[in-house]
Amino acid sequence: MSVFAIETRSLGKLYRSRWSGKEVHAVNDVTLQVERGTTFGLLGPNGAGKTTFVKMLLSAVHPTTGEARIFGSDARIPSSRIPIGYLPENHRFPTYLTGYAMLDFYAALSGMDSKPRRKRIPELLELVGLAEWGDVRLRKYSKGMLQRVGLAQALMHDPALLILDEPSDGVDPVGRRHIRDILQSLEERGVTIFLNSHLLVEVEAFCRDVAILNKGRVALQGKVRELTAGKGYRLTVPAAMPGNLHAAVSASASACTPRDGVVDLQYADRAAVNLAIDMLRREQVEIEALAPTVSTLEDIFIRSVEGGSANV
Amino acid sequence: MSEGMLIRTKLIRTRAIVVDTFREAFARKIFWGLFVLSTLMILFFLFLMRIDIVQGAMATISLFGMQTGNEINLARLVKQTEAGIATFLYTWGMFLAVFASAGLIPSVLEPGRIELLLSKPVSRRHLLLGRYLGNVLIVGLNVAYLVLGVWLILALKTGIWHPEFLVAIPSTMFLFAVLLALVVLIGVLLESTALAVMIPVGIMIISPILAQSKIANLLSGEFTRFLWKAMYHALPKVYDIGKITLDFVMDKHVESFTPVWTSAAFGTIVLVAAIHIFEKRDF
Repeated sequence: MSVFAIETRSLGKLYRSRWSGKEVHAVNDVTLQVERGTTFGLLGPNGAGKTTFVKMLLSAVHPTTGEARIFGSDARIPSSRIPIGYLPENHRFPTYLTGYAMLDFYAALSGMDSKPRRKRIPELLELVGLAEWGDVRLRKYSKGMLQRVGLAQALMHDPALLILDEPSDGVDPVGRRHIRDILQSLEERGVTIFLNSHLLVEVEAFCRDVAILNKGRVALQGKVRELTAGKGYRLTVPAAMPGNLHAAVSASASACTPRDGVVDLQYADRAAVNLAIDMLRREQVEIEALAPTVSTLEDIFIRSVEGGSANV
Repeated sequence: MSEGMLIRTKLIRTRAIVVDTFREAFARKIFWGLFVLSTLMILFFLFLMRIDIVQGAMATISLFGMQTGNEINLARLVKQTEAGIATFLYTWGMFLAVFASAGLIPSVLEPGRIELLLSKPVSRRHLLLGRYLGNVLIVGLNVAYLVLGVWLILALKTGIWHPEFLVAIPSTMFLFAVLLALVVLIGVLLESTALAVMIPVGIMIISPILAQSKIANLLSGEFTRFLWKAMYHALPKVYDIGKITLDFVMDKHVESFTPVWTSAAFGTIVLVAAIHIFEKRDF
């Protein structure tokens, strides 16, 4: 069996307008590998092609180029979806069903027998905090409750790969924490979790690997820890400095950003910032502030999306 | 996975899709609507239509307690009543069934619902055919309930057991299955409940007109005549199948079963086209 839970090669989707013939590459030449047992975050601005990409993994959208594989099986084959648990964004569960009936229906579609279904449903309703709501029709559920019962639906057949599209959408902070705890316990059990979320903090806190999709292409891919390892120091000094001092201290800085009468100088390491401080103090320039910095996923995301690749 | 397990899993999934179709039909009051209508007709025959047997094979009928007229032949009365029910099933009954079922296909294609269905290890063909089967069963159960109910009541009241009437169950289900194939195609293609009703009902309306070969012969243009005949042969023959059923019920000789085969061919082609389109679509 493949070492990758998800593997795509040059995957692409081209939409062509029937009337005008106008073409849009929703996803373009995406080659991506998601290791088994990892937590993977897919990020990207609106319209980046994230949802189309996920739908191609599930064969709800047919690719125009390339291929997708789930645990080594062609994603177009229905049996490749046996190990997948999926929670879609903007889901519309049949509101005529009760929570119990909904879980029973989707589990049966996954091929589960009735006996294990009857055993699993109360366990999962308990897990997502809806034990008392199993017999209530879904039309009575709040958005957060629908999200939680949706997560239970995705977990019914004990999937090896969980694909979650905005799982915290509409969930209050307590519920969000609860969902994160559930996902963490699944991760510990070796379930591969593929998270499509616009909540960068959530992805940064939870995912080990990340890919940023922009305009249908992979703008950046890597381990979150490595991508956010861009540690350094930010030195804030007055904009007005004597002689060539500004040029001297800026020369060893990796970035120089003037704002409101001061300048932020970014240094990659402690030696470089100490050298700059020595030069400044020698000329009796007062230092406004000095702070250690860490690259956040948000910095990387913005840099990736706004043109260049992230230089971290 | 062994062959046996594979079949078992397929059956679990098929059952789930059929049960879900029933649940949606219950929730939309479709099933109960048809059931209440059938029950009202059965109750009519049970309580309001009184048959008094006089001189063995003759009878008088009273409706709502009023005598309708002279003594009539009992066997003919049973056959005519059953023929009336069969005609009702082919006209209003079929219209109601199409009207009630038309929304059940577009509803599963709604964004947010279809993605989750497609994420399951079920082929698209299986999903669509399961839904189709569920729809046919909903109408079939109601038709069987009505026909069997009326048949039993008439038989118990008159002592005449006329099983030919029961052919109305498979023949109505067959015609509904053919029209439902068209509903499915329109649903998959256009996702429009309104059109999914209008087009099959349109076919039901023009079917008796197209079946009149005399009108076709009166047409002056060769091409118009050809078009008329082509439409007659291509479209499901609601009128002809209804007539075959009536001939059965009235113990008459059935001249030809060709309308059954050609309508079956229409239904099959349309259903295959619907499956093909559904399999190719992006959601």
